Amino acid sequence: MNQSSPQLSRLSYVINLGVVGVMLVAMMRVILMMMADGLYPLASALSAITVFLALVYLRRRFTPVRWFGIGIALALLFTLYPILFTLYLSVTNMGSGHLMTKPQAVDQLESQLYLPEGGQTYGWTAYESPGGNYALWLLPEEGPGLLAIPGQSIEAVTVGERGVGELDDDGIPESIEGYERLPVNRTVAIIPALGAIDFGKAPNTVRIRSLREAAELKQKYRYDDGQDAIVDEETGTLFKPLKGTFTSVEGEELTPGYIVYVGIKHFDHFIGNARFREPLFKIFGWNVAFAFWSVFLSFAVGLMVTLLFEGLPGSRLIRALLIIPWPIPVLISILIWRNMLNPDLGFVAPALESIFGSSPAWFQDAAWTRIGLIMVNVWLSYPYFYVISAGAIRSIPHEIYDAAVVDGAGHWNKFYHITLPLLLRILMPLLIASFTFNFNNFNVIYIFNFGRPPMPDTIVPMGQTDILISFVYRLAFINTNVTNYGLAAAITVMLFFLISMMVVFQVRFTNLFREAE
Amino acid sequence: MKKSLSLLVIVVLLSVIGASSLVSAQDVSLTLWVYDDGRLEVLNQLGEQFEAEYGVSLSVEVVDLSEIRNTMTLGAASGEGPDMIIIPHDNLGPLVENGAAAVIDLGDKAESYLPNAIDGFTYNGALYGLPLAVENIGFFRNSELVPDAPATWAEVAEIGQALFDEGKIDSAIGLPDLTYNIYPVFTSFGGYIFGRDDAGNFTVEDFGLNNEGMAAGLAWVKSLVDMGIVSDNIDWESSHVLFETGRSAFIMTGPWAINRFDTAGVPYAISAFPAAEEGGEPGYPFLGVQGLVVNAYKENALLAQVFAVDFLATEENYQAIFDAEPRPSAWASIFNAAEDPNTAGFNAAGVNAVPMPSIPAMGYVWDAWVNAGTLVVQGELSPEEALDGAVAQVLAQLEAD
Repeated sequence: MNQSSPQLSRLSYVINLGVVGVMLVAMMRVILMMMADGLYPLASALSAITVFLALVYLRRRFTPVRWFGIGIALALLFTLYPILFTLYLSVTNMGSGHLMTKPQAVDQLESQLYLPEGGQTYGWTAYESPGGNYALWLLPEEGPGLLAIPGQSIEAVTVGERGVGELDDDGIPESIEGYERLPVNRTVAIIPALGAIDFGKAPNTVRIRSLREAAELKQKYRYDDGQDAIVDEETGTLFKPLKGTFTSVEGEELTPGYIVYVGIKHFDHFIGNARFREPLFKIFGWNVAFAFWSVFLSFAVGLMVTLLFEGLPGSRLIRALLIIPWPIPVLISILIWRNMLNPDLGFVAPALESIFGSSPAWFQDAAWTRIGLIMVNVWLSYPYFYVISAGAIRSIPHEIYDAAVVDGAGHWNKFYHITLPLLLRILMPLLIASFTFNFNNFNVIYIFNFGRPPMPDTIVPMGQTDILISFVYRLAFINTNVTNYGLAAAITVMLFFLISMMVVFQVRFTNLFREAE
Repeated sequence: MKKSLSLLVIVVLLSVIGASSLVSAQDVSLTLWVYDDGRLEVLNQLGEQFEAEYGVSLSVEVVDLSEIRNTMTLGAASGEGPDMIIIPHDNLGPLVENGAAAVIDLGDKAESYLPNAIDGFTYNGALYGLPLAVENIGFFRNSELVPDAPATWAEVAEIGQALFDEGKIDSAIGLPDLTYNIYPVFTSFGGYIFGRDDAGNFTVEDFGLNNEGMAAGLAWVKSLVDMGIVSDNIDWESSHVLFETGRSAFIMTGPWAINRFDTAGVPYAISAFPAAEEGGEPGYPFLGVQGLVVNAYKENALLAQVFAVDFLATEENYQAIFDAEPRPSAWASIFNAAEDPNTAGFNAAGVNAVPMPSIPAMGYVWDAWVNAGTLVVQGELSPEEALDGAVAQVLAQLEAD
């Protein structure tokens, strides 16, 4: 196309340049705005993406990439950025009281007002000009009323001066020339606009602070660029930045604070502590055991059921009944189990007591809670393995069994040397996937017993049946009025490495299996 | 062709953005998020009155409490969220710390409110919310099995043991949890979570979680478990089912359980909590206060304050809210006028109730506290050891902040 019509090509190049140019300008504006707000991670991610897109759409060499350039850009934004952002968070103090960037915190502080000593307060009435300008009639507690117009000094005015009309019983003029008096109910709707106006001439201005009151309010805090500090205009106190909070020499702190880099503090605080590290490894160990036994036993039970009911009379009905656990929502199944095992309400405890004379402490004892969890999880997931192994078994050619019988193989040998290896070959990817799923099976753990019973002597609350994901959830998100994102991110990063190890192991394991074929 | 199309798309997008910024500059309206729908209707009615009077409309939305919390802490500074929210007061701390709550100046009207309701929404000496309703748990007894309210916790154990031996009950007392719902046990022995500083704010400096009273409270619970008259499986649902089926003589729980007890038909009475010893101070529960908080980051903050203070805060409106949903009002005269025996019982139980601390550190307390209690009940640790461990956990997390 380019060779056949060089003119069109030049035109398209110009249009292309124009579009990319517009995009660049727009992106640059967005990025600059983000930088001004201190959102550096997002700004840098967007910069990288912008450069990438500009290259793709301007350099002929990258033409083949054009069609999925946007896709790659989005993938970068939504997968890479969260990972980088988590890493960034883990070395910051982001959390309650430190949720915004420094410029945002400064803005918030600079918007605070105060009434200086000796500052006057007034009752007020608003007037509006046809041009949409406002004036206030201020009534001090004693003395004559004052007229306040933005940009003009506030002064006591008598009737007749500056167009002020007759006063009513409250001492408020019925009219002011060029303005219309607003009744209270109309004032309410415009109070957001009125509240933002400085009436009078700087520095002697008046602001509205409620429906009843206007006052000589002043800006309380001012950011001093040179000193990098906040000055309290009322007291003259200097607040210097300290760990993300403007703090005075006396230790007084201003809220809100802002996000700062704190280094490896979060990692150090916990990884460096044996009362965190050791229980964390216990949790990791239980997590692997839970996932392994859940998958192993569900598969074993599913396969057993398949083999037992294969070809039996009425096997269809039995199969239908066996699949029942599957369609019931997991949440409800777990709650039903929880109630059945409840020592005070459930029927399991009295039943076991009448047979064995005692019943295990399903929720109080760590070992029994673990057994209960695996039991419930097997009950939930064996139908899945039953269904897929019943299907997979059919795909094994019958001739192989016939040949085995000729060689004198019994049931066990047929199963062990033919059925199992061939089944595993088909089902291994599903087993691996199921392991991964159970490794993060938050629902079962959390709904059954919230990861409890608790572990004694740990530096943060941990449970004997917590898995990594439920532990982090409890640590970082269960608290209603603390949000320490920095800490949560640091722990997530640690888990990221633990789980990466698992993934590497799994990948190697599957590869080995394939090579063996 | 493709290029001019994309150019067109960009032009259209830009003009849409421009147009939308023009549209948003019109009509003034207020938005309010509430976390339960019990008051939705009455708030909408009040909103219509407000609009008729002042020409400003109010839209009320039911939003999950955790969503309110997230939006108001993470998003408020960049302009997200509603103009006003209704929240339980213990969520206030992080909002104030993040600058999202505006100070409310009640003026003379403050005198019409229950002092401890005002206390609940006071943070660092300033009022940050308009209290609407208060709530606390009470001491329930099965009035058929136990005609008179016991005066001490020892008496509770004795009555429970006697009824248990007679085979009339399976559990002496329902303990829905080991923290909030049994807090009066701790307080009667002198336990508390956070003390107050000179200015009246809860402070981490005075951390009572492992004091003698707290340990004595857990020791009392443990003694019931050891006597075999309370299960070592502390469970919310079990405790309520046992009480409503008449298999438990007492329970400590809140107004939310009334409905199920009435449905089950169990005869009950609500009274003040027992004391540690004869003639001692009865235990007091946490007070929960619900109130309206103004989003300080919104342009409409001043208007929202007018709505709250100048419009909403009248006895008439509070009566309307109370009639719509009978939760004890924060308006003193309406609170005191409540006559039915249940409300009177809750009010007697909560007469000395102290607002649940809303300082951020409280968030670290709950999980550590539950775990300490559970470890004691299961006999893993002594009350002192367990509570010392809980304090260490809370302090470790505070340090990590």
